[in-house]
Amino acid sequence: MTMRELYDRTKALFPLGELIEQRSGGNNDLVFVTVPAAHLRATILHLRDKEGFSHLVLLTAVDWLEEGQFQLTYLLNNRQQAYDLGLRVMISRDSATMESIHDVWPTAATYQRELREMFGIDFPGSPRIEEEFILEGWNDIPPYRRDFDTLKYAQEKFSERPGRKTHDPETHMRQQLYPDMSPTGK
Amino acid sequence: MSIKDVLSPFTAWKNLFRDPVSIRDPLNRAAAPRYRGFHQNDVAQCIGCGTCEDICQNGAIDMVPVEGIATKQGDSGLRPRIDYGRCCWCALCVDVCMTHSLSMSNVYTWVDGDPDAFRFTPGVDKKPWDDAALGYRRPEEHRLTGRVRAPMGEIEPAERIDSFAEIVDGYDVAEAQFEADRCVSCGLCVATCPTHMAIPQYIKAIRDGDYDLGVSLLYESNPFSGICGRVCTHKCETTCATRHEGEPIAIRWLKRHIMDQVSVDQIKRVLVKPTAPTGRKVAIVGAGPAGLTAAFDLAKQGHQVTVYEALDQPGGMTRWGIPEYRLPYDIIDQDVDIIRSVGVDIRCNARIGTDITLDQLKADHDAVLLGLGLQLGRATRIPGSEHADVRKAVDLLRLATAGEPIAGGTPREVVVIGGGNVAMDIARTLARLQQQAYGEVKVILTALEDRAHFLADPEEIKEAGEEGVIILDARGPQQVVVENGSVTGLKTWRVKAIFDEQGRFAPSYDEADAQFHPGSMVVEAIGQMTDASLLGDAMTEQLAWQRGRLQVDVGGRTSASWLWAAGDMVRGPDVVSAVADGHRVAASIHAALQEGIAK
Ligand code: SF4
Ligand code: SF4
Repeated sequence: MTMRELYDRTKALFPLGELIEQRSGGNNDLVFVTVPAAHLRATILHLRDKEGFSHLVLLTAVDWLEEGQFQLTYLLNNRQQAYDLGLRVMISRDSATMESIHDVWPTAATYQRELREMFGIDFPGSPRIEEEFILEGWNDIPPYRRDFDTLKYAQEKFSERPGRKTHDPETHMRQQLYPDMSPTGK
Repeated sequence: MSIKDVLSPFTAWKNLFRDPVSIRDPLNRAAAPRYRGFHQNDVAQCIGCGTCEDICQNGAIDMVPVEGIATKQGDSGLRPRIDYGRCCWCALCVDVCMTHSLSMSNVYTWVDGDPDAFRFTPGVDKKPWDDAALGYRRPEEHRLTGRVRAPMGEIEPAERIDSFAEIVDGYDVAEAQFEADRCVSCGLCVATCPTHMAIPQYIKAIRDGDYDLGVSLLYESNPFSGICGRVCTHKCETTCATRHEGEPIAIRWLKRHIMDQVSVDQIKRVLVKPTAPTGRKVAIVGAGPAGLTAAFDLAKQGHQVTVYEALDQPGGMTRWGIPEYRLPYDIIDQDVDIIRSVGVDIRCNARIGTDITLDQLKADHDAVLLGLGLQLGRATRIPGSEHADVRKAVDLLRLATAGEPIAGGTPREVVVIGGGNVAMDIARTLARLQQQAYGEVKVILTALEDRAHFLADPEEIKEAGEEGVIILDARGPQQVVVENGSVTGLKTWRVKAIFDEQGRFAPSYDEADAQFHPGSMVVEAIGQMTDASLLGDAMTEQLAWQRGRLQVDVGGRTSASWLWAAGDMVRGPDVVSAVADGHRVAASIHAALQEGIAK
């Protein structure tokens, strides 16, 4: 079986997007494909039960801020064949909610908790989804959202050791090289 | 330390009395080869651009001066100091480093009782891991800044060779944004620009699409922005941080882009308005970049400025020396129009000594500024060079601008002596005239320098070659050959060295390697000088001179308290240097007028 054959078979059953072959050298053992959110559960159940993808390797997200979307990536593994298949689901950034799959793979609950904390994506019904994961007492927007200003946060939250001082290169060069010459048009 | 630092790690307090969970590493193993440990910096490569500081999301980096590392062109002399109390070892600073100087060793274990020891300047403060061979080095594919310029559209050689149409297209908004995006805003270039333009700031204005801001930034330091956007020698690009990893930012083309995007009215609207009239009068001789820049500044400061120009149109060498295919005349007109709009009165066809005397100017004004430029071509003085068909490049360029024919017609075959931009300008101008008149180009250019040391800009050399100009390097002119009263060509020897051991100009030749270059005209393009005859004998006698140049102080003031000089005649030929000089001299004149001591 090649990934291409698997893709063709599965596409006959579900509305899959086009096949992206990530590791094209060798045996094409890592591919990605998009699937509409409403069809995710049915697709992964089919892949798990009929195509030997027994293992959820990871569940992660990308913030496509400009497009107003989050991309969820469910990476599934077929141990027998040593194939990895990533299912990509685009969801709206505004409401940011996705159906939980903890009943399909219990490990998903941990990833979902992490995504809720770091991206603010909700998975209603997922075990302990409301609990803090690694951020204790977080009171800002979720930090992996791209509109989170990490530097600003770091500067507000953590005081600097005394004695720190920086220099702007342009200003420093003026002071060193041409202190008397400011553009006189000003 | 703030109260929140004391109170916030409550969760840690409960571990205070437990046995430590961590144990001493029993094997003392080294970290993985690409582990991200303490930084290393090759401080001889680092240019102190501060891009690492900018990208650090933890505010862990300060740029600090370092003893023994001097500030110089292209290097701020600052080096990054890292506070490991804040560093999270993400390596963003390594990935963005503009010179590849910054990396991380795989050493991460270090115990010290002094928290301040964990703030140091890698590569400067010596550490045991400075020479560690292993650690995190930026992988080849991790490039956070673009290495390649937005390409610039140009008219193809075959199409441009019989025309004086402008060659370079200029960037459209999308291209300019792409190029502006590559800039890391370090500001190293500003020190190199003779007039210290606000380069990172106006590039940011392009990124933000704020052209009002962009053009007002240009006019803060350069009223010749339209002209400089096209023909500036763009020294700034030689110290741009991005040149270490790829092509420097096309700073000149970005300046041009701003000027191309705004209308004259828009520029006039954003200009700083002149202050109330002071009642002081300044006369400026010569409507070139230095004179008009000074005029612009002084008029804005409320002084009444009159510019006297001998020729029939203003612009100086930008108009009469630079060919139209590099700088269209309407661009000059536009820059001059804006300078006029702040109240500068420019009077053309007013030659000092003929139409009005210097004494008269002195009598009618509080200060006089000479911005005469370098309008006389230097002579080689080789045998045969006194022939009428041995011409000066500047004279021919002036004819081309005026649209007047060359006496005796465009030469069918011509030899140019010189390797600078003026030599390229006249060679390419004559090539166009030949193509128009005869349908073929026969121009040979002989330069004293070898290719590696050419004075002309590389793009000038490339474009001249594309247009059919034959460029011969390391050729020293020996004789203009004249037969039966007509010029038939130029004899040259190969140059062995241009300078002697003391570094003085004293070319030596290989006489065995002689060549004859046929041509019915020979053009000298080996430099220019000032025609200071308008000063008259008495004035010339009275003023202090230094090696043929008028002696001036830093503010451009001559030994006569009412007289200043600026631009090429005192500095060196380059539009933007003349602009910088114009500012400097205007400041000096303004200060003197305020003190009321001029005259
Ligand atoms: S490794 Fe990351 S956190 Fe540390 S100094 Fe570099 S950019 Fe800042
Ligand atoms: S980015 Fe690199 S070259 Fe620039 S200051 Fe930092 S270490 Fe030096």
